[in-house]
Order: sequence, then structure tokens, then C-alpha cells
Amino acid sequence: MNKKNRIWLFSAILTVLCFGFVNAQITINGVVTDPGGQPLPGATIVEQGTNNGAITDFDGAFELSIANRETIIAVSYIGFIKKEIQVKGQTTFNIVLEEDVAQLNEVVVVGYGAVKKSDLTGSVSSVKMDKLPARATNSIDGLLQGQVAGVQVVSPSDDPGAGSVVRIRGGSSLRGGNDPLVVVDGFPIGNAGDLKQISPQDIASMEVLKDASASAIYGSRGANGVIMITTKKGAKNTTEVTVSQQNTFSSFTSELNLWRDPALMAELNNEGRINGGFVPIYIGAEDVNGVYYPSVQELKDGTWPYFTQWDDVVFRNPVSNNTNLAIRSQTDKTQFSLSTTYYTNEGIYINDDYEKLNINLNVIHKIFNDKAKVGGNVIYSKGKRNNNGGLAYWRNPIFPVYDDNNDYFLIGNNDFSHPIALTNHRTSKNEFKDFIGSAFIDVQFLPSLNLRTQLNHKFGHSITDYYNPKVYTLDGTFNNGAGGISNWENNETVVETYLTFNKTFNEKHQLSAMGGVSYQYYTSRTSDLKAFDFFNESLGNEYLAAGNPDQQSVANSLTETVMYSYLGRLNYTYNDKYLATFTMRSDGSSKFGSNNRWATFPSGAVGWKMHKEDFISDLNIFNELKLRGSYGISGNQGIAPYLINSRYGQDRYYVNGGWQTTIGPGFVVDRDAQTGKKTWAGIPNPDLKWETTSQLNIGADFAFFDRRLKVTVDYYDKYTTDLLRERLLSPSSSYDEMWVNDGEIQNKGVELTIDGIILNKENWDFSGSLIFSKNKNEVVSLGNEISSGLNTDALTGMKYEFSGSVVEAFRAIPNILAVGQPINVFYGYRVDGIIQSEDEGLAAGLTGALAQPGEFKYLDLNEDGVIDENDRTIIGDPNPDFLASLNLQARYKQFDLSLFFNGSFGQDIFDTKRFNEPSNQPLRWTLDNLTNSYPSLREGRNLFMSDWFIQKASFVRLQNFSLGYRFENLNSSKIKNARVFVNGTNLFTITDFEGYDPEVGSNGIYWGGYPKLRNWTLGLEFTF
Amino acid sequence: MKLKKIILGLAFAIGLISCESLDVEPQSFYSDENFYKTIEDVEAAILYAYDALTLVSYAPVTYYLAELATDNCSVKPDEGADAQAFVNWEVTSQNELLTQFYRSVYIAINRANAVIENVEGKGFNPQDERRLLGEALFLRAYNHFNVVKAFGLAPLQKSLIDKLDETTAPLPEDMDEVYTFLIDDLTKAIDYLEVNRVAGRADKIAAQALLAKVYLFAASAKASGVPKYDAVTESADNLYAKAAEYSGYVLNGQGEYNHDLNLQNIYDVEKPTGPEHIFILSMDRLGTEEGNYSKLSKYFIPWLGGATVYLANNDNSYIATHDGWSVFQTNSDLYNSYEATDKRRNELIVSEIFDENGVSIGTIGDGTIPYPFTRKYVDPSFQGDKTSTKPYLIRYSDIQLVYAEATANTDGLIHYNQIRKRAGVSELPDLSGISVDEFRDLVIEERQREFAYEGDRLWDLRRNNIVQQEVVEAAGLSPEAVAFYPIPQREIDLNPNI
Repeated sequence: MNKKNRIWLFSAILTVLCFGFVNAQITINGVVTDPGGQPLPGATIVEQGTNNGAITDFDGAFELSIANRETIIAVSYIGFIKKEIQVKGQTTFNIVLEEDVAQLNEVVVVGYGAVKKSDLTGSVSSVKMDKLPARATNSIDGLLQGQVAGVQVVSPSDDPGAGSVVRIRGGSSLRGGNDPLVVVDGFPIGNAGDLKQISPQDIASMEVLKDASASAIYGSRGANGVIMITTKKGAKNTTEVTVSQQNTFSSFTSELNLWRDPALMAELNNEGRINGGFVPIYIGAEDVNGVYYPSVQELKDGTWPYFTQWDDVVFRNPVSNNTNLAIRSQTDKTQFSLSTTYYTNEGIYINDDYEKLNINLNVIHKIFNDKAKVGGNVIYSKGKRNNNGGLAYWRNPIFPVYDDNNDYFLIGNNDFSHPIALTNHRTSKNEFKDFIGSAFIDVQFLPSLNLRTQLNHKFGHSITDYYNPKVYTLDGTFNNGAGGISNWENNETVVETYLTFNKTFNEKHQLSAMGGVSYQYYTSRTSDLKAFDFFNESLGNEYLAAGNPDQQSVANSLTETVMYSYLGRLNYTYNDKYLATFTMRSDGSSKFGSNNRWATFPSGAVGWKMHKEDFISDLNIFNELKLRGSYGISGNQGIAPYLINSRYGQDRYYVNGGWQTTIGPGFVVDRDAQTGKKTWAGIPNPDLKWETTSQLNIGADFAFFDRRLKVTVDYYDKYTTDLLRERLLSPSSSYDEMWVNDGEIQNKGVELTIDGIILNKENWDFSGSLIFSKNKNEVVSLGNEISSGLNTDALTGMKYEFSGSVVEAFRAIPNILAVGQPINVFYGYRVDGIIQSEDEGLAAGLTGALAQPGEFKYLDLNEDGVIDENDRTIIGDPNPDFLASLNLQARYKQFDLSLFFNGSFGQDIFDTKRFNEPSNQPLRWTLDNLTNSYPSLREGRNLFMSDWFIQKASFVRLQNFSLGYRFENLNSSKIKNARVFVNGTNLFTITDFEGYDPEVGSNGIYWGGYPKLRNWTLGLEFTF
Repeated sequence: MKLKKIILGLAFAIGLISCESLDVEPQSFYSDENFYKTIEDVEAAILYAYDALTLVSYAPVTYYLAELATDNCSVKPDEGADAQAFVNWEVTSQNELLTQFYRSVYIAINRANAVIENVEGKGFNPQDERRLLGEALFLRAYNHFNVVKAFGLAPLQKSLIDKLDETTAPLPEDMDEVYTFLIDDLTKAIDYLEVNRVAGRADKIAAQALLAKVYLFAASAKASGVPKYDAVTESADNLYAKAAEYSGYVLNGQGEYNHDLNLQNIYDVEKPTGPEHIFILSMDRLGTEEGNYSKLSKYFIPWLGGATVYLANNDNSYIATHDGWSVFQTNSDLYNSYEATDKRRNELIVSEIFDENGVSIGTIGDGTIPYPFTRKYVDPSFQGDKTSTKPYLIRYSDIQLVYAEATANTDGLIHYNQIRKRAGVSELPDLSGISVDEFRDLVIEERQREFAYEGDRLWDLRRNNIVQQEVVEAAGLSPEAVAFYPIPQREIDLNPNI
């Protein structure tokens, strides 16, 4: 039977059936209400097994014609338990739907326990993975992006395996680190941003602890917020096997900005060199290195035979693969989950690869007549990275890849950027292994009393190899071959025990108390072997003994830290209306100075469920109206250990024909790679301690329209004192600096989350959430002006220091930390167009080459007649005014669609590529083009940091698009369900920014590089 | 029953935590808690003190201070403003090179103090104890002497600094306190040390030589009216006599060091134990970072296109060298101060370069070589930028001329003439018709030619109060500004006792 016939037959049967029952049709009607008698408008009534249905009107009333008196109708409404009713000839119904307690009683994980979401007093956001549309992401940070107000996730790099930057409520530290703490199933395992050991597929939920009431329970590690991750456990009363396969295809989002017209390139290069007083290069002659450069004419008329698109040589269209296989099972006694993920990630550069394997085994077993649970979790993760990034796609296109002898064509003797030579001869790779294990026992030895002890251990190892051959690399040429191996290993043990007491007294007083202890021991070991001057380099760094024995170098280190903590929490609820929470943690850390060994972090919060009050519930507006307020103190101990010890340094001295190791006071903490200048420390600070952040949070949760519209709003004020920083010491002390606590910073902000279910029908779903966060950051104090070595702004007297490293093209550091300003504002000169005549230049206060036509017209801000560094001022701010994201989800029958728009507004970018790019060089100022937009081309120009390079970088991006189809009621008895989907990330960006992409690091400096990647993923999931 | 066990377990866990200590012993670095336990520790510590002299912020920077600010050298035009300031006598307290030098000298002093404080009373073999103490005292004096020469009155660090409240040392009262301290350290060092030549380290002779130089500096500075030197209580004549006494010990009291008759031999990079080198720094091209190896050659040799070039030896052979960065460029004042026959110009200052076959590839005249450059810092076995070229800290010839200047008599004349004879220029038959002052002036002139590029010129000019006479850029400055570089601003800002 062909397809057409089948449809005909099907239609015919349907018609017969309809006619057959037409006489039996009856009409039923009724009202749907909630338990309080409130009508539920928009509830769905469906005759079971048919498409026949109705929707209640504004009064909750409905009317429906049914074919069969014995049929069953199903009544459903979001937030309520679906009810099925046998008609049995009845025609009028008063249907009361019960609220879905499971949803109301949704539990969120907080530190050392869990709490009903409705009872939260602090600012905690929860992301349940089963409610999140499938995103093809390979990182946890990617899952979190745009889901939680106040959380910013930036991924500046497309490198394989690259991490991202996660910030909760802005940065509150200058030197102590701003990464939130990540806690996986109760184990605080480290900083957010590079959590490669956990596969996104294994995550059940994530909770973000934002305010002090929530995060202070993590004490001296809580100030940057905490991300609690719960992994998937066994499935319910069944055995389930899930297989998922994703393949991702990536390509650039835009064309590369490279020279495609070599003659124009040569012409403009010559012009720039002549303007700068240099001999032009493209004149058909050899330069000082003996390399022949063709003349512009040779390039124009095609005499010159070579043209290489180097981007075609070094870039590829990468394909990545992610395969996940999981088996989960649950019986009465045992829950078990085993998941493996194999992931390969190709970089955009050839041979730039990453791969990893994660295995996650989780078992929970009930003992003592189900009064206790024991369980364990084992995560093993291994992977490797072959680094081949940074190849010279920008190489001069007039030179070929190979010369006539099929050797690499090198541009002179000091050419260290031949991409194919580097790919084939250089070694740079890394391998890592991680093991994370936890074991716990959880005993409910009284109905009200629970004890949990958890033992966690984490082991990480990484080995890095490099070899720079004698030719093709700078390091290898300088050292006659250079290679090395670096080993790194860390071990961390955390043991925690806590008792939880839970009891309701007189039905109205609900009390929950928790108290516990925690012990943490961390070690990190490194060893580093290097060799130089290889007599045979065929084995590279796998045979370091081939290096000159006199030049081998070894270094190793061992770091230990210990922390003990006492912690406690008290939750009290009166009449399910008034909530109060108090927490306390004391941390004693070996990193803290002997005068400040123990730190105490208290917090308190109150909440009021106003919707339980009659005067609110009588309004019949709010399903939920809760006010929350909290205040507390948390800390940041992101300091290196041993700053409280005197620390000796080491060097070598050549005596009696050999090297002697020398040791004594003074320790190098920094060495400028270019000048060799060292920064000396090593003097101990016995007063050193944590940074202290006090945070006020005021929030409210609203739910309307039977919870179809939910709004959460929070205001916070975070104030951090005792900022960790280096103070300067007098040079006659022989030390440059010492770590101290000095400086203050403030973050204030508003967060708003709106969740709405717009449509909820049998075949249709449509919902959305809008997230808005605004953070205002201010450096309040940079500490003692003298000992911090602060600079003074000549115009305003503002105190500031530079932050970051020198940008070579400007010989300046773009960002400053300035008292009274946000972190990392840009500092430099102002430019008012281009000088059109020398008189104009001189009048502007410029001299010499800088006063010539075609130069930047810098502004003499202090009006003293000369342009000098006293004319600098704040010229931009890389911090966004606000972030916004919009998630839209729709379902039609088995199709699902989701869109995720992410936006960042009001930030500036320092665009180091604003000029001198192939696209804008032709727009230069010349005598024939007296533009005010671009300067002339002039080699050797001393560029000043100026607002000419500052660009507005607001953007809205379609960050994620996903379209899926779910196969249901599959005929196969084996496959329970299956889903196919296509997912796109980074699909388009709306922005005024001229460079490739406006999403850059938090300092706002744009380095050019290459465009961002757009990724298309095809995915397939089966559940057996 | 089970409950009890659990409670017991919990109590145990809490007990465990309460008993543990938060003190973590340093495991992979040394500190004052776990060092200086054996004589080998102290040996490593004294070498750390010597090693400070090789710092990139110390050894090469010395030449910015002591050569650029004189009639000897000027600096490459596109060096930074801080370098230009030395040539132009516009060095301010903000000068970063000056600050680096200042800080580095005190690093060396602190390392010496670490030895001085940790060697006595530790029960080491008395012989070792005396040697290590002597070397440390020598180094403390050597570096403090650099402080005095460069900055005049600046803190004297008499003990190890390892606490915040020790980082704000006051200024010394006056020059008398400074010189008393220097002389005291060196007198003890001479007492403790034996004659024991090791390239890169100091012995008794080095201490005597340094003390002679200290006395001579004070003598001539007091005699010539250098600011602040009137506070030195000893008379100039007595100081000259002391300088003569101690330089006399060096010249006549030992057989280890002596006058090298072969000029190029003195500057042979492979011969740090040549007869002249009473105290020479030790660096080697096999080092893995600058300071362990030396780039001094790069500073003095001009940029010659990046290729290996060859220089003619006085025996018609050739030695190879890399080219340099053209940082320190010879002034015509210096070049012209040599007589036509002076070997110190003809054999040590390069005006022509060759290829590996000895074929000339260029001269000053044809513009291939931008300026005549010294070959005192040339390493034919250079590896890339890495060389074994070393600063010459105290040479026998130096002490010969110290003696000549201090005595200013016929004994001294012998040594003066020995230097001139080796250079191939006429000797002074006798002192008739030449006053003591005139003879001392002749010695100073001779010192310029003999020790050019060796980082001593500015000190000679300063102690004789003739900076403004010899360096046009210093004209118009106050006597104080000429005699001393300013104390770095960072020190003034951060040290409330200054």
C-alpha cells in the first residue's frame, strides 16, 4: 500500500467513526477553581484520547461537547496537579485543582543542606537542567550563561578547551581573584571558569548563592559568590540508558581583515615608511636581511609570482565531537549512576587540538532500615591539549609557503613565524589527569536529627612538554635548541561533618539548626626540567640529556595549606509566614598571618511571605509575594600561601669554573621578560589576612496569574575592605614590596528576573524569561597613597594606579584603578580629529613630527600650551551599564525551539586595531584626502593612548538557537524516547563595534586577532 | 548502640580538628627559620651576596652612572629619557635607572648582612668563620662605598632587614660616620681574610685595595672641597698617607697579583685570574638568564648589521664578536685624550672590522662603524647575546695609580711610569718642576685613559671636584648636585626617617 492510499484509508475510517458516534454527543460544562475557590481562567480540558478540548474562560467556566458518556476528561493547569475525571453521564462539573506541591516544595541546594525554594531568605538562583532547553555546550559556564541575574559569563577565547570568566555581582577584589567558588555535591572543588572535570550532561541542577546570607556559610571563600552543582543520580525505579551524540561544526562569523591586494598593501607600506623618513621596502631590492621585496609595479602587473592567503594555510573548519553514555538505575535500596563523556575539540588553527574523557560513577545505598545512606562519587577525567595556536595568519602574502627547493620559505634569518615550519617542528603540548572522589554517610538517627559526614579528595596532575628547535623558533635559535618538561600535581582533602536538627513545635514554630566542622588540606607540587643547547634534537624534549649538561636547569616546589572551620546555621519559620536565617562560619587558615589566624563570618536574613497574610491574599493578585532582606560578611582568601613567612631567594654564581647555587634574603616575585628587571619580595607580613566583604541584600519574589508570571527583584550593596595588595617598601630596605590588606571597593546593583508562561496548551507551549542586571562598581580606596605608590591625575587630583601590562604599540598601560571610579577605566589623551595644517598642530600645543598635518590632534586639556602627560584623563569605561538576556522557549507537539539572546550595554572597548588594518589603511589622511577621521600613514609614529581608539561596544547577540524533535511512542519497545536537535551558537550580533567581536576580556582591550566562531551542532539522544 | 558509635565518631572528628595546628612549615624554600645551619649554607649565602653584583639592575647600570655622566661616553639617541638624563646631567630623583641602582646596592648589602649575622657564634670552624665574615664585611663596605660615591649621605645598613619596622633606616649623621663605618668594616675584613685568589670573590688583597681607594676618595674629596667632606675629621694629608699605606701593602706585600705587561691579555675574557684582577665579577655565557651570563658587550659594541665580525689582535690574529646595541658610545673627548702611539687606543679601541679571513669590511671612516668602540668587553665564544664578559672591579693597575696619586713622590712615579710604558707612551723622567697637585692631576688624566669604560671615571671627577671642568653638560649646577645624585624619590616617599 502506498502512502497516498494509506492516508485515504485513514481518513475514511475517521469519517466513519465520526458518523458512527455523532448521535451520542453530549455537552458538558463546569467551572475550574483552585482550592480557595478562585476560578482558574485558561485551564485546559481535554477528552482523553482525542484532540477534542476546551479552555476555561475568565470565570473559570468551560463547555465541551463529548462523544462518549463514559469518556474521561483531563483537566490541567500550570502549577496544579492534572486531574482526570470520569464523565459517567454527569454534565456539570465543579472541578477543584490541587496545587502542585512538588513544584511549590521545590528544594534548592544551599551550603550544607537544602531548603524549600519558598522558604529562601537569601538571594539564591536555581537552574534545573531538566527545565533548561538543551544547549550544545561543553562547559558548565556555558550552561549558566544568561540563566541567572547578576551572573556574567564571558568567553573571550575560542581556543580548544579554553575556560571562561564567571563573575557574580561584579568584581570585589583587585588582587585576590574574583572567581566564584564551585561546590560539586558538597565538595568545594575550586574556582569557576575552568571546571573541566564535570560534563554538562551529568549535571542535574545548579544553584548560585549570591548574597551574604547564602554565601557566608563558605566564609573566607564566599565573597565572590558560590555555585553549587548537583550531579545526576539514579533514575526513578527503573534502569535508564542514555546515549547522546553531538557534532559541532565551526566557522568564522565574518571575513578576516587581511590584505587581499598585495599591490595596495605595498603602496601603502611604502607611503608609511616614506612619511616616517624610512627607506621604502617595496622597491624591487633586497632589504638589510637580504630578502628581496618586489616593487609595487611588479606586484601590480603580475610579474611577482607569489600570492599566499596565509589564513587558508593556518585555519581550518573545525569539527568537534561529544559523545555521552550514561546508565542510571534505582531500586528501593540503591541508586546508581555511571556516565562517560568523550569530547574532542578542534581549534580553528591546524593541529590545535583538545580532547578529554570523563567518567563519573555515583552510588548511594540505604542501610539501617533506610535510616542511613552511604554513598560515593568517583570522577576520573583525563585529557590532552596540543597547542598550535597563534600561527601567523597575518604573514606577508607576497611570500610563498615553500621555496623552489620545496623548503620552507623564510623571510630572512630571523623569521620565527613560518606557520607550517612551526606546526611540523615545534612541540607544545599538555596532558592532564584528574580524580575526584567523595564518600559520605548520612544518618537520620532521629526523625528530627540528621548527621552527615563527607570525605572528599581531589587529585590533579598535569604534564607540559615543549621543544623549540634550533631553527624556526626564537627561543631555540637563541639557545641552540630549548626544551623542557613541567609537572604539576595537587591533592586536596576536605572532611566535613555536620548535624542537622529539624523540628516543628506547636505546628507554628518550625526550627532547623545545623552545626558542623570542616577540615581542608591542600598540597601542590611542581617540578620543572629544562635543557638548552642540544647536540641532537631528533628526540626533542623527550631526551633532555641531549642538551648541554652545563645548562640544564631544574626547579621544584611544594605548597601546603591547611584550613579548619566551624560552621552553623539556624532557620526559624513562624506560621509559614515569617522566616529568619542566621549563619556563622569561623575559618582558621595557614595562609593568614599569626596575628590574624581566625576569621569569623556571620550573616542574618529575614523573609516575609506576605501572600499568606489575609490582607494580601484577599487582593487576589499575588500567588506569591515575599520580601527578603539579608546582611552578612564573607571573605576572600585568594592569596598565595607563605606570604607570612620570610622567604629566601636563589640564584647561581659562577665560581671556580662551575655554577654554585646561592641562597639568601630577597625573593624574586616578578621578572620583566623584556628588560630582565626583577621585583623583590620575601619580607613576611604577620598581619596578613582575608579580604572582607559585607553585603546587604533586599529582594522580593512575586508570582501572579497562578504562577504563570514570576518576578524576582533584588538590590544589593557589597562593600569590600582590606583589599589584598602589594605595598611598596623603601628601596634601601632591599625589598620592593610586601603583601598587605589595604583598599576598599564597592559594588551596588539591581537584578530582575521575569519568567512568564505565555501559552500552555496541549500542543503548544510558549514561555520566556527576561533577565536584567545592573552593577555599579567603584574603587573607594587604593590604600595608603604613599605606600601604594599612587599617581595623581594632573587635572583633577584623582589618585590612581595603572592596572595590567603595557600595550606595546602605545608604550602605555590602558587601564587604571582610580579612586572614585569603576575598576579598569581607560586613561589617556583626548583627540579632536586630525591636524590639517602645521599651524593648527602648533596651535594645539604639539611640536615636531606630532604637529604635522595628518597627525592626531591631541587636546591640551590643562590648557598650558603643551601636550604632555598632564593632559591625560579618563577616556572610557569597559564595565557595562547593564546586562540583559532573553530566553524564549516554544513547543509545538514534538518540536521544540529555543532562542537565547544575550546583551551587554554601555561598555567601551579600547580598540588597538582601530587603525593600520587592511580595511582602514586606505582611508588614511593624505593631501588628496583631507579627512578628519583617520591619520596619515607614518611608520615610527609614537602613538598615545587616546579616546580615538575607544569604541562603544554595546551588543545583542543571538547566543543560542536550538530546534529539536522528540520521537514519542516509538514502536520499538527498546527505545523509550529519542530526540534530534540542531543547535547554533553565536549566530548573529548587533553592535556598532567595528572589530570582529565586542565580547572581550574584562579590561576591555580588543587585540584584533581573528573573528569569533559560529558553531552548528547536530545532536542525537536516545533513552533506552 | 549504633547511635553511640556515631556520636563517638563525631566527637573524634571534632577533636581531631581542634588538636591540629595551623602552622605550616615551609617545605620547598629556605627562610631564616631553616637556613644557616651548616657552613655550606653560609657559603651559599655569601655567594648570594656576590651574585647581587651581577644583577641586571646593578652591573650594567653602573656604567650609566659612572661613564655616561662623564666625558667618556654618551648614549644612543633612542635610549629612554632616563638614560639620556645621565648624559645631560638632568638626573632627577624620579630616574628609574638611578632607583634601580640604589635598590640593587642595598640588596647586595642585605645579603652581606645576612652572612654577618648568621656566621658568628654558630660554632663553625674558626677559619671558615673568619673567611666568610671577612668576605661579607668586604662586600658590605664595597657596596656602601658605591652608595657614598653615587649618593653621598644615604642609609648605612648595619644589620639584616627582615621585618617591616626595619625598612626605614635613617641617614647617617655625616661623612665622618660613613667613612668610619667603611674603614671599620674593611679593617676587620683585612684582619679576617687571607690571600686567596678565586675569580669572582674577594680576599685580603682586595680588602686592602678597597680600603686604599676609600682613603684616597676621602682624601681627595676633602682636599678639593667636595661638599660634606669637611665633616671628615682626619686631615687630607693623613688620609692620603693611609691610602698610600694600604695601596703599598697591595703593591709590595704579596706575590699573587701584579702588573700585566700585555694590555690585551688583561681584557682576555678567558683570563679572569690574570695577574691584574684583584677583584673581578664572575659571569659565564653558559648561564640561563642575564646576570648569570653577561650582555655587557652588547652595550658597548655598535650595531653592525647583526652579523659576526672580527677584530684584529696585536699578534695579527683575529677574534670574533657579535655586534651590539650601540648603547654606550665613545666620546671624541676620550678618543682624543690618547696620544697617537697609545696602545690603549690603538689596541683596545676598534676603528676597523674584518671578516673571518681578516679582510677589512669597514672602518669608522667609511661609516661602517658608527663610533670607535672598546674591546674591553668582547667574548669570541659568545652564544647569541650571551657572553662571559665581566666588569673589572679592582685591577692591580688601579692600585698602582692610587699609590702614585696618594704618595705623589718618586715611589709613586715608578708605578705611574709603568702604566704609561705598557701603553707605549712617554714616561715622566722625574718630578722636578711638578707640584704634588700637578702630579695628582696627571694621575687623574692617566686614570681616564687607563680605566676608560670601566665605570670609575665619574668617581674620579667627583672626588677631585672637577666634574664641571671636564663635563660641559654639568655646567651651572650646584656643587651638591654635581657631587651627589639625588636620593631616589621612592626612598624619600617611603622612608619617613629621610
